[in-house]
Amino acid sequence: MLDSATRHRLFGVRDALEHPVVAGAPIVAGAALFAALVAITVLTRAGRIGAETSRELLRRTFSWCVLAPLMLGPVLLGSAWVIAGVFLLSLFCYREYARVTGLFRMRLVGAAVALGIGLVTFAALDHWYGFFTALAPLGVALIAVVAMAGDEPKGYVQRVALGVLGFLLFGVGLGHLGFLANDADYRPILVLVVSAVQLNDVFAFLAGKALGRRRLCRNTSPGKTVAGALFSLAMTTTLVVLVGRLVFAEGAMSRWPNLLALGAIASVSGQLGDLMLSSIKRDVGRKDTGRAIPGHGGLLDRFDSLLLAAPAIFHFLAYVRGIGDGQARRIFTGGGVP
Amino acid sequence: MTLARFEYLPARDLGLTLLQRLRSPAREPDLFETAIHWTWWTAVRAYLRVFHRLSIGGLENLPARPPFILAANHTSHLDALVLASGIRRRDRDRAHPLAAEDTFFERPFRAFFAAAFVNALPVMRGAPRRHDWERLRSRLLEERCVYVVFPEGTRSRTGRLGAFRAGIGMLAAGTPVPVVPCHVSGAFEAWPSGRRLPRPRKITLRIGRPLVFAGESDRKSGWLRVAERCREAVATLSPRSRDRSPE
Repeated sequence: MLDSATRHRLFGVRDALEHPVVAGAPIVAGAALFAALVAITVLTRAGRIGAETSRELLRRTFSWCVLAPLMLGPVLLGSAWVIAGVFLLSLFCYREYARVTGLFRMRLVGAAVALGIGLVTFAALDHWYGFFTALAPLGVALIAVVAMAGDEPKGYVQRVALGVLGFLLFGVGLGHLGFLANDADYRPILVLVVSAVQLNDVFAFLAGKALGRRRLCRNTSPGKTVAGALFSLAMTTTLVVLVGRLVFAEGAMSRWPNLLALGAIASVSGQLGDLMLSSIKRDVGRKDTGRAIPGHGGLLDRFDSLLLAAPAIFHFLAYVRGIGDGQARRIFTGGGVP
Repeated sequence: MTLARFEYLPARDLGLTLLQRLRSPAREPDLFETAIHWTWWTAVRAYLRVFHRLSIGGLENLPARPPFILAANHTSHLDALVLASGIRRRDRDRAHPLAAEDTFFERPFRAFFAAAFVNALPVMRGAPRRHDWERLRSRLLEERCVYVVFPEGTRSRTGRLGAFRAGIGMLAAGTPVPVVPCHVSGAFEAWPSGRRLPRPRKITLRIGRPLVFAGESDRKSGWLRVAERCREAVATLSPRSRDRSPE
């Protein structure tokens, strides 16, 4: 049923390291983590950072030593693995969100969101964009209907609102990351997008501690400064422009203004995603969403910046250069229409 | 003017590590665990029906809605599976067998199985710690769940019904929560203590009329009276007359 090109995109590893950006990613990540460990050790021994800060930074760095291969592995193994990885990430992020808000006690709403995430994953795997976009309104409708079960109108708006927010953020929002894997150049694009958004966090974390006093959002996230936000905007945009020249060697995306815009979108949407999760946590009254990742908190504390960045970047790229052009569409439901 | 706050009720076990969470009496099943429970109990029920020809009598005695406590004799590891299988499907995700902490929750793999599959909650054996039982009792009332309790505290090595301990009284005395006496017969012959694997023996679950101890005093004397009345009710369900006097 699958043609050889599609099978190769989904599961092929033969040319996984062909693109220089993909081949360089494990080396750069390994070198950066090693450098971080050396820097933390040196700064600690020199007395420039306290023991508690040092432990915190080491925990974060060791967690990255596990996270980096987990994020890079599916990209190297094939687009089916990327989509499966995004599916699991969506489910685990929704699980944390539901536990923090208490929505997990609404079993039917949870089941509807899980079904929606499954269908978003199927639409991405099938490369069926029409169904993928239809799932947002259909998912909202399904949640609104199942929340009526039990004939308990009290709390209905809260059940629906929390369910819809969860589905749109973790199902549809993160699902865009999976749909990106339908592009012929998905490997370098995903390496660029994910590393830009994650490094944007690292820049903001470091700059927030070192730069500026003017707070960005005092009530929402007191650790973030305006200078830190601008610094990470500048750094991430520079990174995207430099690496983007290698990823998008030709076509509309190879032009400087588009690369600059992509960098700015990655940084701003990443920081807004971070602030959005901070707003949720402040409203609920929790500092972290869990303890899944030592030094970071929960999965959501680590991947919050992708929630808004994934759809924003996806639609920018789709507008400027297209996503998945030339690849078979509706692989399973339509016989792989080119 | 701002919209009124939503009322959030985060999971009670939020902020615990995975292992702490598995061992916590405050653990609440999430989406994944609910899916595991549903699959697990469906498989267990099928196993019991086929391998042990499980028959259940007195289902009409189960209260229509939780909370309630199932109190039964204990001769085999199969008992908790048999009792939980008797609970209505819609209440099964809220059913918690109370299991010995030292046996089921010390080793990580066993704790994972007891928590993720069986949905068991840990209780300390030996001298009852009132604080632990009070926490279990308030959870029973607030969350309207089902506890599966073996008031003898351990499996009988002879198959005969032993004395009931005060823990059941600490859960039920002075509350409107009904205690449903149950008797499992055949489990001892199928899988007694000391045997590695179960044998295909017929198992029967008898469910008695619920008892309510709302008027009973929440003190040691009251707990012991509750324990004794529960034991009598369980013994009455036993097909063997020798169970009607303490071991």
